[in-house]
Amino acid sequence: MTVSLRDSITNGEAPARPQAPALKRRWLDFGQQLDWRRRLLLGLTGWLLFVFGWYLAAHAGLASERLFPGPVAVMNALVDLFMEQGFLGDVVSSIRRILISFSLAVAIALPLGLLMGAFARIDGLLNPLLGAFRYLPAPAFIPLLLMWLGTGDSQKIALLLIGVVFFLAIMLADVTRQVPASFIETAKTLGGGRRVVLWTVVFRHSLPGYMDTCRQMLAVSWTYLVIAEIVAATDGIGAMMMRAKRFVHVDDIMAGIVTIGLLGLAFDALFRLVYRWRFPYLRGAHQR
Amino acid sequence: MHTASGLIIEGAGKTFRAGGRDPRVALEGVSLQLPPGQVGVLLGPSGCGKSTLLRMVAGLEEPTAGALSLNGRPVTGPGRDRGMVFQSYTSFPWLTVRQNVAYGLKITGDHSSLREGAVEHFIQAVRLQDVADAYPHELSGGMRQRVAIARTLANHPELLLMDEPFGALDPETRWQMQELLLGIVRKERTTVLLVSHDIEEALYLGDVVFFLSSHPGRLREVIRPDFKKDVPAGDREALLDHPEYRRLDMHIRRLMSEEGSTQGQPA
Ligand SMILES: Nc1ncnc2c1ncn2[C@@H]1O[C@H](COP(=O)(O)OP(=O)(O)OP(=O)(O)O)[C@@H](O)[C@H]1O
Ligand SMILES: [Mg+2]
Repeated sequence: MTVSLRDSITNGEAPARPQAPALKRRWLDFGQQLDWRRRLLLGLTGWLLFVFGWYLAAHAGLASERLFPGPVAVMNALVDLFMEQGFLGDVVSSIRRILISFSLAVAIALPLGLLMGAFARIDGLLNPLLGAFRYLPAPAFIPLLLMWLGTGDSQKIALLLIGVVFFLAIMLADVTRQVPASFIETAKTLGGGRRVVLWTVVFRHSLPGYMDTCRQMLAVSWTYLVIAEIVAATDGIGAMMMRAKRFVHVDDIMAGIVTIGLLGLAFDALFRLVYRWRFPYLRGAHQR
Repeated sequence: MHTASGLIIEGAGKTFRAGGRDPRVALEGVSLQLPPGQVGVLLGPSGCGKSTLLRMVAGLEEPTAGALSLNGRPVTGPGRDRGMVFQSYTSFPWLTVRQNVAYGLKITGDHSSLREGAVEHFIQAVRLQDVADAYPHELSGGMRQRVAIARTLANHPELLLMDEPFGALDPETRWQMQELLLGIVRKERTTVLLVSHDIEEALYLGDVVFFLSSHPGRLREVIRPDFKKDVPAGDREALLDHPEYRRLDMHIRRLMSEEGSTQGQPA
């Protein structure tokens, strides 16, 4: 805009009407809203920078190619894993463990969180208990779980559950407490009983927050999955990585890490998609 | 006067006791009556207990003394018969305008009102038909408050409670909302108890104005702007010009400033 203004002046013609100066735009500013194209472009740029840095570091000769392979070698290893070594089965096992354990965790934590957040008496009863359990590191239960449940799937699912469920319950209760008292009072004066208010206001208001919390705790789930599969497993992404370690297949280990990262990204994207689709009224309110 | 109809408050008092602090007397010995179909306004200095009294009528706050009843039934908790419009915007953000207005009828299972088009009727009454499918965050403050009013009215409460419903609006919108409210209330014959700190609003809307004094909150004076019978309904200019209006306005201002000069004193 400024260019056209200057042009018309140098041409000797007065501009027909003074043009409003464009607001000064900065590349970084507070409260910017990006469309999905920009966001995708920026996200890809971040990834490309990372891969490029990795490439440089791997080929700078700091370590042997065998101990620190570059991105190309790892991609080749990944393809090889899927094509030749039945890695898909490992991935499916891992995802299955995550889904089962996380569903169980939500099924337990959600009612607890809802009731704790809504009713001070239930919070008073359970918060100190769950709060204490939350501080126990889940891996500390591994020896116990191995003795009780053996080395099968149930042991891994139990570990994942223990690692997540207490945090989840407390965090979901925190979300529940955010419901403005005036919403609850409004529903009461419109004739809503306890059950109606609990579902149509407290639960409904908290739903987006619940989804957000679950999205974040799912990432924690992956951490415990790898721990569980490294300790004792015959299949799964972590088990593959432990096998690869025995033969110093660093490229395979890194391929496993990349796989977990990509799966995490995929789950995250899924959550965001559902979020946008289910909660249209939050668009613009806070962009994500 | 026939007893047991309308709102009756007898000797209501409220003392807040919070943890080790000194008890705080918010209201003391408030008695008043509001006959069915009338608009009552609670007026008084800030902190005199208007919101507390209103919340007690709504059943959201328990009185520590006295008793309240509506049409012969004692107030024991919140209920559909006493709808409340809050000062803060309480339209549910996850529901569209239409869903918000239908909310009370849905949760109380009032299918006959839903069938008879109560929702559309009140959406039109508050002139929101063009944004009926919008979400509250897409609306202005005045529109959100109209959603709350329509939602409460659709429920057919016997008593409509409003806590400074237009306090956050600009004068022009406020004006329009007052006229809108008065029109609807006349038509539906709703009883209204409204909190205000605006003298013009109180005299324009109120059939009876309850002036509360503070520290502790007591009913100081009941003012009836009966002269309004002589003024054409809704003619605000004629009203503001009426000598009796100016006398009452002056009188209330004097009450306000008296209260103001005793504000600093502890209860
Ligand atoms: N939950 C509470 N705990 C303790 N004191 C309270 C509580 N709610 C209100 N009060 C006190 O009761 C008194 C009356 O408060 P209230 O909100 O009813 O005043 P108000 O007349 O509505 O004032 P305003 O015009 O500013 O809204 C105040 O002194 C206030 O501090
Ligand atoms: Mg108040």
